This record gives sequence, C-alpha cells and structure tokens, in this order.
Amino acid sequence: MHLHSPAVEPGTVGPCPVAPDALQGIKRQQTNPARWNGSNWNEFAAALRQQGIELRENAAARAAFATDAGGTAYGLAHGVVIARNTEQVALLLRAAQAYRVPVTVSGGGLTTEGESVAFGGVLLDMTGMSRVLAIDAEAMTVRTEAGIFWHSLAEELRRQDLDYLSAPLNLTSSVGGTLGVGGIDVNSARLGCSADQALALQVVTPTGDIVECSDTHNAELFERVILGYGQFGIITAATLRVRRYTPLRMHYFYYASLATAIEDLQLIDRNEASDYSGILTILDCAVNVLVAFDSLEREAAFMAEWRPRLRGYGEFGFGLRTFAHYILRPWKLGEAWYLLQRKRELFPELRRPEYMRDGTMFDRSVVFSRAVWKFWGSRQMVIPDLATSAGKFVEAVKRGNAVCRKYFPHYTLYLVGIKLRPEHRAHYEMSCVPPDAEGWAYGCEFEPMMDAGVYSRDYLQSFKNEIYDIGVDMGASYYRFGGMMKGYIRRVFGDALVDRHLALKRAADPAMILNRHVIF
Amino acid sequence: MLDLAKSTLRAPRDYSACSGCNLCLLVCPVWRRTHDFSLTPHGRAKALQFGAAAGDIAASVQSCTLCAACEPVCPEEIRLVAMTLDLRRQLPQPAAMADLLAGMQTRASPSAAPALSSATVLLPGPALRDRPSTLARVRALLQRSGATALGADDGADIALALEAGGEIAQRRLDRFLRPLHGVKKIIVADGLLLRHLQPLLPGSKIIGVGEALSGLAAVRSALRAKDLYVIEARAYHADYQRLVRYYDSLRAAAGCSFNLDLQRIAIPAAARSLPQRLGLEAVDDGVQLRWILQGRKVTRIVVESMEDRAAFEQYGECPVVHLADLVDDGTSSV
Ligand SMILES: Cc1cc2nc3c(=O)[nH]c(=O)nc-3n(C[C@H](O)[C@H](O)[C@H](O)COP(=O)(O)OP(=O)(O)OC[C@H]3O[C@@H](n4cnc5c(N)ncnc54)[C@H](O)[C@@H]3O)c2cc1C
Ligand code: SF4
Ligand code: SF4
Repeated sequence: MHLHSPAVEPGTVGPCPVAPDALQGIKRQQTNPARWNGSNWNEFAAALRQQGIELRENAAARAAFATDAGGTAYGLAHGVVIARNTEQVALLLRAAQAYRVPVTVSGGGLTTEGESVAFGGVLLDMTGMSRVLAIDAEAMTVRTEAGIFWHSLAEELRRQDLDYLSAPLNLTSSVGGTLGVGGIDVNSARLGCSADQALALQVVTPTGDIVECSDTHNAELFERVILGYGQFGIITAATLRVRRYTPLRMHYFYYASLATAIEDLQLIDRNEASDYSGILTILDCAVNVLVAFDSLEREAAFMAEWRPRLRGYGEFGFGLRTFAHYILRPWKLGEAWYLLQRKRELFPELRRPEYMRDGTMFDRSVVFSRAVWKFWGSRQMVIPDLATSAGKFVEAVKRGNAVCRKYFPHYTLYLVGIKLRPEHRAHYEMSCVPPDAEGWAYGCEFEPMMDAGVYSRDYLQSFKNEIYDIGVDMGASYYRFGGMMKGYIRRVFGDALVDRHLALKRAADPAMILNRHVIF
Repeated sequence: MLDLAKSTLRAPRDYSACSGCNLCLLVCPVWRRTHDFSLTPHGRAKALQFGAAAGDIAASVQSCTLCAACEPVCPEEIRLVAMTLDLRRQLPQPAAMADLLAGMQTRASPSAAPALSSATVLLPGPALRDRPSTLARVRALLQRSGATALGADDGADIALALEAGGEIAQRRLDRFLRPLHGVKKIIVADGLLLRHLQPLLPGSKIIGVGEALSGLAAVRSALRAKDLYVIEARAYHADYQRLVRYYDSLRAAAGCSFNLDLQRIAIPAAARSLPQRLGLEAVDDGVQLRWILQGRKVTRIVVESMEDRAAFEQYGECPVVHLADLVDDGTSSV
C-alpha cells in the first residue's frame, strides 16, 4: 500500500497530513467541509421573512450552534431558524430548495463528527418542536414532535406510568436525531436499536412536502428516513411504541479479559437471559458486564440458570484477583491506583440513594445519563466506534483496544448488542448496522478520557482514523457514521451502494440542500 | 461598595467549561415556556464561548428566573446562578431598580439593629409579611422547637438587588448582617438570599422555611398520601446535595408526591424572570403549573412559599395550603 498525496495548489490549504500511518488508502474527508459561499442568501432571507419565518442572523444566535458535542468540528451558519411547526419547516425547505441554500438540522446536537454543525446556510434547531402530541396507553404508543429530548419524553410518559423502549444513554439527544442515526441502549440486545421503536413518522421531504410514512404507508420513504442520517427528509413527528415503566435490578460481573466478557455477553443476549446487558470497562483491566432485570422473576431465573455459566467475578472476588495481579507487577501500580480511584468515583454515582429503594434502581436512564456526562463528558469528545457482526466482534474490540492503549493512558469501552429485526432489513442498508450481521449486531465505543492531558486535534484525528481503519479492514460499520469521518463510508460499503444512495438523494433533493455534508 | 454576588459566589468553573450536554435545558422553566435554546445556560455558554458579550445576550440573561434548577444537574459543575448574576452586573440596571439601589447607598443607617438574642431567627421576606396571619402561624409552629425571633430587617431590598445584579452598599450589608452574627439557626424565606447568606454566615445553620416547617413532627404527620407537596425551588437547589436526601426521606415517611422531576430537581412553580419580578412584564405561571400537575391525582396542594401559594390559588385546580396551615394551633390564617 502506498500513501497517495494529492498535489496542492500554491496558496490553498491542502488535505490534512496527520498520521500518515493511519491513512493508508483512505481518501481524506476528515476535515470540515468548506463553508457554503452564501449566494442568494439575502433573497432567501427576505423570502423567509415574507412568509413570517423568524430567521436569526445575529452572531450570538449563530455562535451557539458553532460546534456539536464532539467539539472538534466548527462551522457557522448564516442564520438560525427554530422549528416551530411542520408547516414552517416545509416552507423553509421549499425556499431553501428554490434558492439553493443548505439546511443543516440539529436535534440535541450530540454528534461528535460535526454532522449537526452547519457550514454556512441555515441551522434548523429542531428542539423548538418538543411537544408530546398524544399518549395512547391502550395501544401503547406515543405521538410526539421529533425535536423532543428523550428525557423530556420520559418525563411525560412517566406521569402515566409508561416509558419509551430504548434511547441513547445521554438523555439529551432528540427523538428525530436518534431515529435518523440508530440509537443504542443497554436493552438494545433485546429490543433493537432506538429507531426500531418508530411505528410511523411525519416527514418534511427536502422539497418541502409533508408526508406521513410507516412500514405500510409510503414505506419507501420510511425505509430511507429511518437510519437515513437526515438525508431524505426532516422528521417532524413520530409515533413510537412504549411500554409500562419498571424500575430495575442491576448486577455487575467483573472480568479481566475482554474476549471472555464478550463471549459471556453474547451468551446472555442469545438466550435473552437478562432484560438489559452491556459491557463497560475501565481501560481493559476492569471489564464489567452489567445485566439488569425488569422483574424479580426474571432476576431469579437468571441467577438460577445463567449466572453459574458466566465466568465473571463478583466485586469482592475481582478485588482479590486484581490485588494479586498488581502485587506481582509493582511497575503497574499507577494503573492499579487509577482503577481504584475510578471505581471509587463512579460506583457511588450509580448507586445514589435517592434512586435506589430496596436494591432496586429507579429511573435508570437518569442515573446512567448523569454518570455518562459526569465521567465521560467534556468540551472535546472523540468516541470512534466499530459496529460488527457477532462473530467479528471480539477481534474488532481487541484491535480497537490496542489502539486506545497506544494513544491514551485512560479510556473506556462501551459495548452493547443490537437485536436486528428481519423486517427492517431495508432500513439497515448503508447504516450503522453492518451488512453481514445476522440476528445481532454489536457495537463498541472507544472513548478516551481527556482529563489527563491536552490533545491536539490532529492527535485525536489520528486516533479516530486508526479505529475507523479497523472497520474498513474487517468489513464492519460504524455507529457514528458521517460528518468528518464520511470518507470511510465509501471504503466500507463500496462505490456501487453509496452511488445508488447518492442517486436516490439527488432525486429527492435536487439542489442537495438538506444535511448536504453528512454522508455524501 | 461590596459586590455581594461576586464575593460570595466566585465561580470555580465558568461558561468556558460548558460541554454542551443540554442537561440544563431539561429542567429550565424558561426553556419549557419558550423552547428557545438561546435563553438557556447552554445557549448563553456557547454564545460566550464564541465571543459574545453580556450585552449581546441581554434578553437571555434577564429571562433567567434564578430558580437554580440547572445548577445541580450541570455535570461540569458550572456555578450557573453566579454566572447569570455576573452577567446581570455587566448590564445597565433596569430603571425600576434605580431608586432601590440609590436608597441602599444613601439611606443605609450606619447603626445596625441590636444583635438578636434568640438562637433561631426567621427572615420572612415580603410575601410572608404581607400575610400576617400565616406569618403568625409559621412563628407559632417554629416556637415549638425553640424560641424564634423575627428578624426586623429581613434583607428584602438586598434580595431584590441581588436578583437584579445590582451592587449592594457595604454599609447596608453590614447593617443587615450584624444582628445575625452568632445566631445558631437562620430560617430564610427567600431562596436567593439563603444561597448568599450561607458563605457570609458560616457559623450559622441557614435553612429555608419549607425545611424548617416540614421538619416538625406535627407538620409531617399532617401530610396525606394524596397531597402534592411543592418544594420551593430556589432554597432546594441552593443546598441540593443535602436536601435531595432530606426530601426523599420525607417522601418515604409521608407518602405524598412532590414537584420533583425524574432527576429529583424541583420543578419551579412561580418562576419569574427579572422583568416579571420588577412588574415590567406580565406573569404567566400556567406552563409550569400545568406541568407540575399533569397526570397527577392530587386532592390538595401543600406549598412552602407564599409565591407558590398565590400562583396555585390563581390557577384554581384544587385546594392550596401553606405548610403552616396544616396544623391547627388556634390561630387563623385566612
Ligand atoms: C456523551 C455522549 C454519549 C452518547 N451515548 C450514546 C448512546 O448511549 N447511545 C447512542 O445511540 N448514541 C449515543 N451518543 C450519540 C448521540 O446520542 C446520537 O448520535 C444521538 O442519537 C444524536 O441525537 P441528537 O438529537 O443529538 O442528533 P443531532 O446530533 O442533532 O443530529 C444527528 C443527525 O441527525 C440529523 N437530524 C437531527 N434531527 C433530525 C430530524 N428531526 N430529522 C432528520 N434528521 C435529523 C442531524 O442533521 C444529524 O445529521 C452519545 C453521544 C455523546 C456525546
Ligand atoms: S436558574 Fe432556572 S431559569 Fe435560570 S437558567 Fe437555570 S434553570 Fe433556567
Ligand atoms: S448543563 Fe452545564 S455543561 Fe451542560 S449544557 Fe448546561 S451549562 Fe453546559
């Protein structure tokens, strides 16, 4: 393999030359796209105002959306529109199509590769559409505006003793932003990705038509919009399946080996032995399989049938084992100290008394979300990931873990299974679900802890590249699927599939205005 | 001249630490009412991170109700209330504040009221003073756990100046604080004042009226399972880590429901922006009250604060009582 380095015109900025060893064979797309040049902006702005759409052009309003949760992609919109209703969104897209003005949609803005950052044009803030429209406790469905945060939805559902099926752990991603990208939760191994709970959507197409779609009605649009990364329409409302709220009972099993823990996780998932399952690690030293149950019966059945087959230790046993391990390796005492500190900080947070009653955890989504932000959140977050079939997962995680070890003293791996729904195969095409996955797909996020040092953007980029390269090498996919890492999409899926989707995109969005930089 | 907001609330972390997690939006009454991101701590933080000055985000800064619900949820531990007050200080004072602030400079008497001899002092604030019968009941109840003096100077002007980000004359502050030095327990109705008094009077235990009353066995036993207990948001969030456990044990003991969300943050009832507090904008508590009551089967609303009582009474969904009204001690409170 050789590194192809395109010629650079004098006076222009060439492709970012970081980490050549990580870039073998990759067409470089990992930097921010060029800013849209602003042609027709004034006419477009006047047209919006004429139609009564509020457009904010002041610096403070635009600056508020200059980056996403990743904090490594920066862009400035020409103006910000707060979504208020579906008709307004449709008017906006019609005008944008007519004046060829790019529109970037932001929900929670919790992407980490700049997917929800506007590089010029309009930033459409969907959180303005955050009302729950109807809860049907008999049909067990909710109809909600799509800008709502999962947590706000949970608050409303809880007043009727209901809950959503699954959502990202961060709680402040939006329903629309999640249905468009997938969404994984610690119950995804049983219930599928968050997007799978959508029964019907109201979508504004890139040309400004308002369309209702579902598996049976405008099914083709439904297929493309679910897991469609905002390419084929803006989700303005969604009908979701819901369930009865249950507090849960949680158990942790500790492993020293990633491979053993993953095998046991897959055993649990295949047999639906628990209601929630996942792996959270401190480095690769404390590998923590967590399982949880919606009822005492499920917990008891697990303890009787499955616990004896798991190779993980309890907290005390693992403590002893770890002590013995480090006492024989005194040069690794720094690592041991870190593990201890981390455990001391993190575990009380997961067991805060106001959320625990008689060993049962109430509002697990709040507990997890607080911990996620407190222990993993920061102004810069790089969380590259790999999504593979069950069979390839151990190797992918091991290789990704070696990359983490190389780049960072401290990091966490978060691993979950995602049950695939055969009838949703069409949704999964060219998405975070790898094409060769059957039954379950598995995802691993590789999250460095930034607290210990200051890292350059180039360093972080090199780290991500090395993780993403594993995906190319293994024929996997990625949960974080577009934005600055979109160059990898062609590499993993091949030109034919990507070009077919591009043709669909061009047909649906003739001026290529909607989220134009995210995938293509 | 003393800048109270600055001296007592020097923020260890400022807006530059904001990671953009959005958690503050989930609890913010201004967000719930407007769904306008620019009017939230996150919106302000991002604007400031990218070079905005206080004047560029003035409407956002003034819209904050200082309910402090955002502060305990902020994973970056940004002192969001202090930051908002800091920004308010950088804005021109509203004309409506001018008289009050001038009065604090010129009319502040150098001689303070005599030191309070009682171990416990109640600073009732204007809303409770306006309802003398309720005030009498509050005092009568508090007397049950020891002599409780009424602070003649309850710092109402200081509380308002704090709210507006105004500067407070040192002499005025001295006059207010001097009688309180050495008092063991200070019960403060105004949650914002309470927050600021804690570091200024480190030797005193400073708690809200709600905590003081709900700690009494007679009051606790008068709570019913179908009551909705409305915690006063400002006092609660000022001492959140301690009070979240306190109210959790009250829930376990009394069995009633609370205006707490899933994050155990108190949903503010009468939440007022600065212009609303100064009477420059109409008050609309409807959104918050509807949200508190939505889906709850409640037969009585029990409030800690008089402002919340007035708001719920106006809303008129079900009977509203102040904590002090729960126990019949022979005084009338209507
Ligand atoms: C700390 C942290 C923890 C995370 N944990 C998890 C986790 O546990 N599980 C998980 O699945 N993910 C996780 N993520 C990733 C993130 O939550 C997901 O990408 C999330 O679903 C994004 O939702 P959002 O509303 O923030 O979307 P945004 O970031 O706003 O947008 C995502 C994409 O969808 C588009 N979009 C937004 N709204 C709409 C709409 N209404 N219609 C059409 N397109 C739209 C945007 O243009 C963008 O391309 C985490 C991220 C962070 C920063
Ligand atoms: S103090 Fe209250 S009103 Fe102000 S930003 Fe925080 S939550 Fe919103
Ligand atoms: S909670 Fe704190 S860190 Fe998160 S967005 Fe709000 S101000 Fe920023």
